[in-house]
Amino acid sequence: MKQMVCSVCSYTYDESKGIPEAGIAPGTRWEDLPEGWRCPWCGASKDMFREKAEAPAPAPEPPQMPAQEPGGEWQLSALELSVICSNLARGCEKQYLPEQEKGFRELAEFFRARSVPAPDAGTQALLQLVERDLSSGYPYAHTAAGEAADRGALRALTWSEKVTRMLQNLLSRYEKEGEAMLEHTGVYVCSVCGFVYVGDAPPSICPVCKVPGWKFEQAGKGA
Amino acid sequence: MAELYAVRNLRLCTKDCLCLYVCPTGATDTEDSIIDRNKCVGCGACANACPSAAISMVPKVMPPQQPKEERVAEALRSLIRSKTQAENLAAQLPGALAAAAARSSRLMAEDLCRESGYMLPQSEEARVFLERLRTYPGIPLEVVEGLLNTLPFPEKRDRK
Repeated sequence: MKQMVCSVCSYTYDESKGIPEAGIAPGTRWEDLPEGWRCPWCGASKDMFREKAEAPAPAPEPPQMPAQEPGGEWQLSALELSVICSNLARGCEKQYLPEQEKGFRELAEFFRARSVPAPDAGTQALLQLVERDLSSGYPYAHTAAGEAADRGALRALTWSEKVTRMLQNLLSRYEKEGEAMLEHTGVYVCSVCGFVYVGDAPPSICPVCKVPGWKFEQAGKGA
Repeated sequence: MAELYAVRNLRLCTKDCLCLYVCPTGATDTEDSIIDRNKCVGCGACANACPSAAISMVPKVMPPQQPKEERVAEALRSLIRSKTQAENLAAQLPGALAAAAARSSRLMAEDLCRESGYMLPQSEEARVFLERLRTYPGIPLEVVEGLLNTLPFPEKRDRK
C-alpha cells in the first residue's frame, strides 16, 4: 500500500485508508482512482501527486538563473516598478496608513498604465513562462536562499512555487478542456499568496498559506 | 522602549467596547472605528482589555529591515520579472481563469518583492527608491514628495 502526496498542498492519499467519506473504500489503489479525481484540498489533478517514499530527484547540475532581457535604463520594467509600489501600498494598508497606501496605489497605477502589452499573448505563452519558472527560476532561487539561510525568502519561494504549480495544472487543463472547464463554477484567488482555486466556493482555508477562506476573492466577476 | 500606538483590526472587533472604557484620552472612540493616532498615547490599556485581541500596539518607528544577500535578491528579482511578464500576458486574455492568473501573478510578485528588500514602506530601501522615482519621466511628483514627507523613515528621524 502506498501513499501519494500532492505537490501543491501536501495532501496525502493513503491507499490503506482510502477516503470513506467520499465513497473511496480503504485499500483502493491509486491507479484505480478515476482520471478526473482531484485533490480534495486544492483541486490539483492526479498527475500533480508524487509517491511519498520517492526521494526527490537529485538535480543533475546546479540550477542556473534563467536569462532575462535587460530592463532598460531603469533596470526595472514599468510593471516591476508597479509591483514594488503596490507591495508597499499593501504594507501601508496593513499598518493602517490609508493616506500613504493611496499614494503608493497611485504610483502603482501610473506604472501599470505605462507597461507595454505583450505582443504574443496566449495561454500557450503564459504556460511557457510558468514552466520556465518551475524548471529553472525556482530551483535556482531555492538554492541561493537555502545557502544564505534566508528563511523569509524560502517562505515566499515555497508558497509561490506551489501557487505556480497549481497555475500550470489549471492552465494545462484549460488548454485541453477550454471554457467548459469553468462552466457553472467559480474561480477564486487567495488574496494573500495568490493560490487559484476552481470550484463552487472557496476552500475553508487556503491549502498553500493557510489563511481562512474569507481571504479569497472571486476572479473575473463583471468581466 | 519604542513609542507605540494602537491599531484596531475591524475584522476581529466584536464591539465589546472595553477599549472605550479604559482609554485615558478617548482615542478609541471614533465614528470610523479607526483609533485616533493623534490622541493615542500608546499606553496599551485598550489592547490589554480587548476580549477579541482586535487591537495591536505598533511602534511609531519601525526597526530596520532584515538584510538581504545580493545573490538571493537577484534570484528573487528574476522571478519577479517573470511574474510581471505573466501578469502582462494574462491581462490580455479573456475569461475568469486568465483574470485569476493575472491577479495571482501580481500577488506572487509582491510577496517576492517583500523578500527582496521592499518589505517595509518606512525603510531606508523604500526611501532611496522614492528619491530615485523623482527623475522618472511623467511621474506624479506631488505623490512621491507626499510619501517622502509623511512616511516616518527611521534614519530621517535619527538625524533630527
